[in-house]
Amino acid sequence: MTDRSGPSRRAMLLSGASLTIASPFVHLGAARADNREIVVASWGGSRTTAMREVMFAPFEQATGIRVRDDGPPEAAKVKAMVESGNVTWDILDTDIPAILAMVNAKLLEPIDYAKIDKAKLARIPSVLHHPYGLGHLIYSFNIVYNTKTFPNGTQPKTWAEVWDGVRFKGARCFPFRGGLSPQLEFAAIADGVSVDKVYPLDIERAWSSMDRLRPLVTKWYATHAEAIQLLSSGEIDICCTIGPRGLVAKKEGAPIDVEFAGGKLAPDNWAIVKGARNTEAIYQFLNFVIDGKVQAELAKRIPYGPSSQDAFAHLSEAESRQLNTSPENLAKQFWTDIEWWGKVAENGKTNNENQIERYARWMVKRA
Amino acid sequence: MNDSAVASDHEGRAARAALWLLASVTMVFLLAPMLVIVAVSFNDAALFSFPPQRWSARWYAALWESRVWREAGWLSLWLASLVALASLAIGVPAAYGLAKGQFRGRRIVEAVLISPMVVPVIVLALGLYMLFSAAGMIGTPAALFLAHTLLALPVVIVIVGAAFRRQDLAIELAARACGATFARAFWHVVLPSVRPAVIAAAAFAFLTSFDEVVLVLFLGGPRTTTIPKKIWESVKFELDPSLTAVSTILIAVSVAALLVAQVAARRRSA
Amino acid sequence: MTALAASGDLAGPANRAWRARPGLMVIGALLFCAIVYLGPLLSLIGWAFRDPKTGWSLLQLYRVATDDAYHLAFLVTFRIAAVSTLICVLIGYPYAYLMATSGPRLATLLAAAVMIPFWSSVLARSLAWMILLGRKGVINEWLIATGLIERPLALLFNSIGVQIGMVHVLLPFMVLPIWAVMARLDARLPRAARSLGASPTQAFLHVTLPLSLPGLAAGATLVFMFAIGFYVTPALLGGPDDLTIASLIEMEVRDLLDWPFGAMLSLALLALVGAIFAVGAVFAGARRLAGMEGR
Repeated sequence: MTDRSGPSRRAMLLSGASLTIASPFVHLGAARADNREIVVASWGGSRTTAMREVMFAPFEQATGIRVRDDGPPEAAKVKAMVESGNVTWDILDTDIPAILAMVNAKLLEPIDYAKIDKAKLARIPSVLHHPYGLGHLIYSFNIVYNTKTFPNGTQPKTWAEVWDGVRFKGARCFPFRGGLSPQLEFAAIADGVSVDKVYPLDIERAWSSMDRLRPLVTKWYATHAEAIQLLSSGEIDICCTIGPRGLVAKKEGAPIDVEFAGGKLAPDNWAIVKGARNTEAIYQFLNFVIDGKVQAELAKRIPYGPSSQDAFAHLSEAESRQLNTSPENLAKQFWTDIEWWGKVAENGKTNNENQIERYARWMVKRA
Repeated sequence: MNDSAVASDHEGRAARAALWLLASVTMVFLLAPMLVIVAVSFNDAALFSFPPQRWSARWYAALWESRVWREAGWLSLWLASLVALASLAIGVPAAYGLAKGQFRGRRIVEAVLISPMVVPVIVLALGLYMLFSAAGMIGTPAALFLAHTLLALPVVIVIVGAAFRRQDLAIELAARACGATFARAFWHVVLPSVRPAVIAAAAFAFLTSFDEVVLVLFLGGPRTTTIPKKIWESVKFELDPSLTAVSTILIAVSVAALLVAQVAARRRSA
Repeated sequence: MTALAASGDLAGPANRAWRARPGLMVIGALLFCAIVYLGPLLSLIGWAFRDPKTGWSLLQLYRVATDDAYHLAFLVTFRIAAVSTLICVLIGYPYAYLMATSGPRLATLLAAAVMIPFWSSVLARSLAWMILLGRKGVINEWLIATGLIERPLALLFNSIGVQIGMVHVLLPFMVLPIWAVMARLDARLPRAARSLGASPTQAFLHVTLPLSLPGLAAGATLVFMFAIGFYVTPALLGGPDDLTIASLIEMEVRDLLDWPFGAMLSLALLALVGAIFAVGAVFAGARRLAGMEGR
């Protein structure tokens, strides 16, 4: 998107146009076989713009290795790439459910932690050192609520309270499809399971708890942006959605606030595509971007929490207080147990897969 | 005779009034969301709220300054135009052949040609990925051009096919009888008789490509960023009104083009 | 022209060649599809019927045939599509009729109203409908303010919201094909009927309506088939009762990477749609035998 390398985009467009009219089978992809370039697949928009500013451009200057960005990092596209033998992406910036699905389909290279800078790695919580993904940006599922319905601290502060439609009246919305859905951990906690005993999940108990939630939910939303919009307009009063995005909306003046207590942290990760070729350059990139200072710069532009605790040394008090991985907020939340979700169950599929499918079935059949 | 004529005249006029009432309600239905979209685009906050608490044109300014959005606009426009032309060039003859021809398996051919509309687009995207990857075309505008034409073809065939089915066989016979070759008869007599259908089909083929996002995401690359792709990107993490600003600009441009065409037509007929 | 027909020249070899020619015109499209579409179709079939370990397998077929959650989703999808098509016919046909029978300025106005929404993305429109239809949305606020209702209507996150959103997107696909056929109908025919003593209603029912049927069929075909593939609008504006098969196929293919199952579901969808149209064709064929379509 913000690829500034190579000839001007207009020239590329015009030549592409004439080539297309003349002969539709001209290969326009640039050559990738050299060690001077890596391709990072991220999500575009302000996220990639911020990454280019604080990660890609400085990295290019420091090492001379060009970083091109593409995206979005759809797991299905990675699968298509790997299966057709035409891998054009090196590094992915993606979430755990996608990584688990790709690991299952054998689409990723394991991360060789021996090649990662030990000092920097130590500053990242070990729960984020997944064999196939290194956590770098932390988002979290929190209780996000409308401040007009729940002013002055009257909002639900625990998941049991969110499940309580009598004491806390209001329309709820929960995610269906997207992120680590279903939110079985919250269901279990609402049912009385204590946070440190959430994993391994008692699946049946969680689902009966979800049954009790169902009548309270007005909308099972598909995108988090939709949830924020509904909260801002007052259609929904309580939402289980991405806390940091709620804070962004709050800054823009929406009547929204976030309760961090009881929230669930989950990482966006760097992952390496199977068949990616420039391994040296890839590890150079990884070592560069997990640096605390780089992460701090990113955190100033993107509302998600940095994974390296070093980053907080470079952030002001005000800036870090808002982040969901600040020491204060970190203490109120728990980490998603990636291993449990990635564990293969008896039927040969991972817990993640099974529960996503069960969620769809539960939604369709009302059972 | 006079009485019944007057009575049926009243009936005709009453019916027409009722039709206009229904059409007006329909127009309100069609345009109400558009008003919301235009209003939201002038929102000063990065929120999709209506009515806006504070008004500003900041999203338009941002679009105006953004080279990426402008290039996405040109690519979308140019790609959609080519797709419209190609799908007409392939689809109109096919519609003719299906409507007028009488060969065995005609229904099956018709079903096959229309089926790309029904195949879930994600599955089509992956199948096309395999094909284009083998041809080394992933990330090229050419791949998008072919994919979008495949998607637009069924629409052209259905619409123009209906017009051909209604078309009076006699005019073609007449042209042939006057000595025209098949090609001349087709171009000068047959086609003009289905012109409204061709125009409608062209519009839909254009818009099919202009609005399409899944194929662009899977078959495209860094150099094939279209407007829908940019819109999708901006929605994934933020929900700011810039997508409504884009829509408003497009609506304004299309209305302006329509007015220009109207004035030109009136001047020509004057 | 009539003299020529009477002369019997039409039965000659020139006529046979001419009649053979129309069919050949589909060659271009078939060639294009052979190049661009055949590969993906084969991939689709390959995914649906092959197992990487055991070669050809009917496992996916078995899964689709026995999983009633997916059967429900198919039913939901067809219900939504059918209702959308019906509403579009009821609203779109009169609209197209007006467009075809009004003067150029009014016709342009009607056409503009129906085409303008196209320039906004489906997403923008769905979000606009959320603003309009919500409990605290514009429509409910207005209805309550004018005292017509006391409590807000549930217009969103249910089938009503889905239909409103879908009809808004699909209406042009009904209006324009009907208009395209009506615009070329000989206006003298209904007038002739009137001059013979028919009322306007009779003229319409017995002349205009039957002649415009190909346009109506085209519009209904387009609307129905597009509606079947919708997943954005039902996901944004609907509730759990509006979960379509297209959504589930997305989930299988994009999130779970279960391409074999997704492919088989797609084939099942194609087969079902094909069956519906085959049934429709039988009815249309019967009508053609009765002489209602001019060919």
